[in-house]
Amino acid sequence: MLVEENKQLSRDIFALELTGEFPYEKATSGQFVNLLIGDGKGHPLRRPLSIASCNPETKTLTLVYRVVGDGTKWLSERCPGDVLDVLGPLGRGFPAPQNPGTVLVVGGGVGVPPLYQLAKELGAAGFKLHIVLGFKNQDDVFWTREFAEFGDVVVCTEDGSLGKKGFVTEALNVNENWTTLYSCGPKPMLKALKAHFQGRDIKGYVSLEERMACGVGACWGCTCLDPDGSAAKRICKEGPVFSWEEVSL
Amino acid sequence: MSVDLEVDLGGLQLRNPVMPASGCFGFGREYGEYYSLDELGAVVVKATTLYPRLGNPTPRVTEVTGGMLNAIGLANPGLDEVLAEELPWLAGQNVPIFVNVAGDTVEDYCEVVEQVSRSGLAQAVELNVSCPNVKLGGLAFGVDATVLRGLVEEVRKVCTLPLFVKLSPNVTRVQDLALAAACGGADGLSLINTLIGMQIDLTTRKPVLANKTGGLSGRAIKPVAVRMVYDVAREVDLPIIGMGGIYSGRDAAEFIMAGAWAVEVGTANFTDPYACPRIIAELRSFMQEEGIKNIEEIRGCAL
Repeated sequence: MLVEENKQLSRDIFALELTGEFPYEKATSGQFVNLLIGDGKGHPLRRPLSIASCNPETKTLTLVYRVVGDGTKWLSERCPGDVLDVLGPLGRGFPAPQNPGTVLVVGGGVGVPPLYQLAKELGAAGFKLHIVLGFKNQDDVFWTREFAEFGDVVVCTEDGSLGKKGFVTEALNVNENWTTLYSCGPKPMLKALKAHFQGRDIKGYVSLEERMACGVGACWGCTCLDPDGSAAKRICKEGPVFSWEEVSL
Repeated sequence: MSVDLEVDLGGLQLRNPVMPASGCFGFGREYGEYYSLDELGAVVVKATTLYPRLGNPTPRVTEVTGGMLNAIGLANPGLDEVLAEELPWLAGQNVPIFVNVAGDTVEDYCEVVEQVSRSGLAQAVELNVSCPNVKLGGLAFGVDATVLRGLVEEVRKVCTLPLFVKLSPNVTRVQDLALAAACGGADGLSLINTLIGMQIDLTTRKPVLANKTGGLSGRAIKPVAVRMVYDVAREVDLPIIGMGGIYSGRDAAEFIMAGAWAVEVGTANFTDPYACPRIIAELRSFMQEEGIKNIEEIRGCAL
């Protein structure tokens, strides 16, 4: 695919807009692509990046990533016109809400991007959204205005430098009448969310992250366990989105 | 010029010498969505054990320069499910099947090999005595010549299929293990499995992999693998399946010149899901360019 834009969104977060040949119609929110770094010689493992936005009409695919090492640093240096090898869409994305009513969307850090495509889809389907986005501090914050198009947005930072101070769970009143929760972010956040809503009548979905090799389900590198720990599930194939009941966090 | 890639691997006819390596290709279904598996010389399925295994805690894969480390820990659904769900599907794909077998005890290995032999679903067995990521079994059988010979002898009694033994590079003299496997009754050898390695995260100051160590694979290990295939080919008169960092048709040709009869492709599948069919096409082009009519012409030519 062709790079259209590669823009820095915050301290270490970049948005990569791609165009060109891609099965845009097949992609759903919560799925990911596996992107080759360079010619793959120095970096044999592709980088799994969640789909932040996919637009079949304009033929654009947006991937948002955090620069953490050599591979993502190389990616951050790509310019418009550069060609990238993109494999996807892969994995199982967010299912549609089973019940009407207000949907809760909670993202943390680099877990925020896949929720953008989700919010876009749910907004278009007429769902009312309550969106909570958590970051470490104000330098990490991105896309809060973009999300506001689809629902009311609450921003939290751990140090209180922007929005509410504290973790996302502190901004969530369990007595509100939310029917479905979609979340993506660090595992402690996902765990805290599940505990926060324990016993409440809310359907919860989490998008999990793990180091991957093949990205297609062949190598069993990125597994997680079911709640009783008796069976493994491949995050790249059966996930990355799971319901609370399907996995142990 | 038409070239002949067919290989007679100790009685087993392969349409070409390229097959995906065990553990890198599941049971074939996933890459079967990318291309038709009957393009391959054979498929070597994920290590199968008597009972299901969840494998090691994550993270269990990580990239290193020119390669990767894995510590999957032989995760697999267990013999019953492999026989009931996986092999019947793969058997319908018109490609020879090598079942890679691992175990904790001699009895485990024999039980799995016997049932795989009887199932009629596989064409060969690859005995995994070289997994570096499990405490019991695996490598415990692959680093001691006497122990290895004993295991191969027992398995041989119940194995009615061609029996390949997959050797570990984590030994002083791989030829000694190759000879032990040959004396035990192996029909062929595959080498090499991964080399034990480690990567430390400079932020957490701890090993990246939950298992701490993992098996190194990919381009970085190719020269080691070529040397070991060469060393074994000089001393042991058995068909060899060579592997370790094969990414191109030229890499495959290099292993064949070192004495391999066929090759397995592992990590390259992760970089390029079409790696195996691409390598087959590149090997064909290489032969055409070099005027090699039959792949057997160059087998062991470097020896």
